[in-house]
Amino acid sequence: MHVEFFGLSRERAGTARIEVQAETLGQLLSILAEQIPPLGAFIGGNRLHPAFIANLNGDCFVSDPATRLQKNDHVLILSADAGG
Amino acid sequence: MPEADSVPFGYHARYLRIDVSHGSGEYLLLDETMLRQFIGGSGLGVRLLLDEGAAQADPLAPEAAIVFAFSPLVGSPLTTSAKFAVVSKSPLTERINDSLASSGFAIAGKQCGCDAIVIVGRAPELSVLVIDEKHSDVHLEPAAEYRGLTCRETEAALRSRLGADYRIASIGPAGEHLVRYATVSHDGRHAGRGGSGAVLGAKNLKAIALRGSQRSGWAHPRELTELSRSLSQRSFGPATAKYRELGTAANLLTFNRFGALPTRNFQSGTFEEAPSISAEQLSATRSKTRESCVACTIGCEHIYGHGADGVRLEYESLFALGSLCGVGDADTVLRAVRRCDELGIDTISTGGSIAFAMECVERGWLDVGGNDAPWLRFGSGEALLHAIELIGARSGIGNLLAEGSRRAAQVIGHNSISIAPQVKGLEIPGYEPRALQTMALGFAVGARGADHNRSGAYEVDFSDKVDRRRVTLDAVRYAIETEDKAALMDSLILCKFLRGVFDDFYAEAADMLRKVTGWDVSAGELRETAKRIVSAKRQFNLLAGWTPAEDTLPERFLKTPLPNDPAASLSHQRLDELVAEYHRQRGW
Repeated sequence: MHVEFFGLSRERAGTARIEVQAETLGQLLSILAEQIPPLGAFIGGNRLHPAFIANLNGDCFVSDPATRLQKNDHVLILSADAGG
Repeated sequence: MPEADSVPFGYHARYLRIDVSHGSGEYLLLDETMLRQFIGGSGLGVRLLLDEGAAQADPLAPEAAIVFAFSPLVGSPLTTSAKFAVVSKSPLTERINDSLASSGFAIAGKQCGCDAIVIVGRAPELSVLVIDEKHSDVHLEPAAEYRGLTCRETEAALRSRLGADYRIASIGPAGEHLVRYATVSHDGRHAGRGGSGAVLGAKNLKAIALRGSQRSGWAHPRELTELSRSLSQRSFGPATAKYRELGTAANLLTFNRFGALPTRNFQSGTFEEAPSISAEQLSATRSKTRESCVACTIGCEHIYGHGADGVRLEYESLFALGSLCGVGDADTVLRAVRRCDELGIDTISTGGSIAFAMECVERGWLDVGGNDAPWLRFGSGEALLHAIELIGARSGIGNLLAEGSRRAAQVIGHNSISIAPQVKGLEIPGYEPRALQTMALGFAVGARGADHNRSGAYEVDFSDKVDRRRVTLDAVRYAIETEDKAALMDSLILCKFLRGVFDDFYAEAADMLRKVTGWDVSAGELRETAKRIVSAKRQFNLLAGWTPAEDTLPERFLKTPLPNDPAASLSHQRLDELVAEYHRQRGW
């Protein structure tokens, strides 16, 4: 699936998007923490720090590590605090 | 100077009421029970305005009152607590307006031995109000030589004249010209929304300069110091990293991806040139420094450029003077933001009013009363900058746009009110209501109009609590929770950028207040306090003439789905249901 980073997660990842294969959200986050160590501070185990949130395909926000992912999903990682 | 029989820690239990028609002031007592019920900041300001009968007054008339309210936390070591609220009836909305700003003016104001300053009257000529508590002196000084100066120039000139220990709040040329969304500025920051700068301008006050020496003490200083240290440590963590590293401007690309970035006067939720004005691009291509308000450990301010040319950039300014006007040139947007700051005008209402006019030009509607402005086109940076100048000077079409989009629509006709991007007259901030529908409700019911600081309902939309494009009545309680929380934060006063740091906000806020005041205050009491403050704002609006019909959104949002995202669709019926449920849950 396609992982898109926004804001701080993009700064830490050093890229706007990458391709990762994972079956669940938790698995995906674990892979991200391992592959991109600067993101590790925002990922505890298989969950995002509460200051961050994941979104599937621009539609629903997801936090349950067991959330199933499909091959062509877009997983967006962004700050949970959207305020300005 | 009167002393209350019992002065709670953290307070002086009095306010300074000044009639600038005569340049005289007196200290009046504040009852401890009332202070506990409204705390400070926005809450105290609204309460004092109600006592002044300000709801029924013309906000630009001499008898109108404007309140600068401090809080029990001001002057404490608690991070982000150096804030003040400017509260008045808005000349833009004719409803309650409370706008906040930060830094040394809050601390110096409280050191003047008062919890608030209430100003009424009209000075006979353009003046500076000088409050020198050290010498028990309140007086007016002529300010003709400062006429037309920017906020920054005014502050610099006054500190040079009066002394570096004075802290100054000022208005720019726009406030002098009574632009209905003029700001009050202090140290480069603005009490931005709703036109408090015009209220000061109508009082012939170019600036307020003050210094003092009084302190109010804390009930439990050692415990407060420990708590402050702990809070500061937490404020260095991930919950505030966004603000430190990129600032609020980081929202732009995120919102664009979600189709929630208002573009070309809300005709679209995506802007094709968003990357070129994004925080990421600006940070990569420009020199930038970071600054903090006094007593803040977050440091959210990202200044692009240096010295007098430096521009404080926030998401709201970026969207309003960028995508909303279709302008994708970063240099132009930065120049526009800087010019708004110099003139002392709210960037959101400036961008909203100009974008509205741009669409009217596009539709061939802006041809009345000599207001024809064919040059005012979406995407034209030159037009944007020119329009800002005209607004600041109330010249040409700028005189119409200085009234805000709602009043401009009434002049333009063609049912242009249906596309005027405002609620209760306040221009809508950078959250597309059709794509963020809990926020749409927050905008519709907001006491001061469409506002993201008094309702944080966008946080609900950016969560798994609701489906942001198909919200149901379940969203209402979440919207209420964010509104209550904001009311309390604005009264304590604490910066909202700290909100992610708290595990249990009400309990921790109660702990802070307990250590400062000595009151045995609980989380439950503060929840009630928050609701009381929201209700006081509503009471003000009722007295000012509010009707239920005001709690809505412009027709555009209720009849037209977002072109780029047909699923993002609202209707009169759905919004009416949400608003009705909101009123029901509020017990109104």
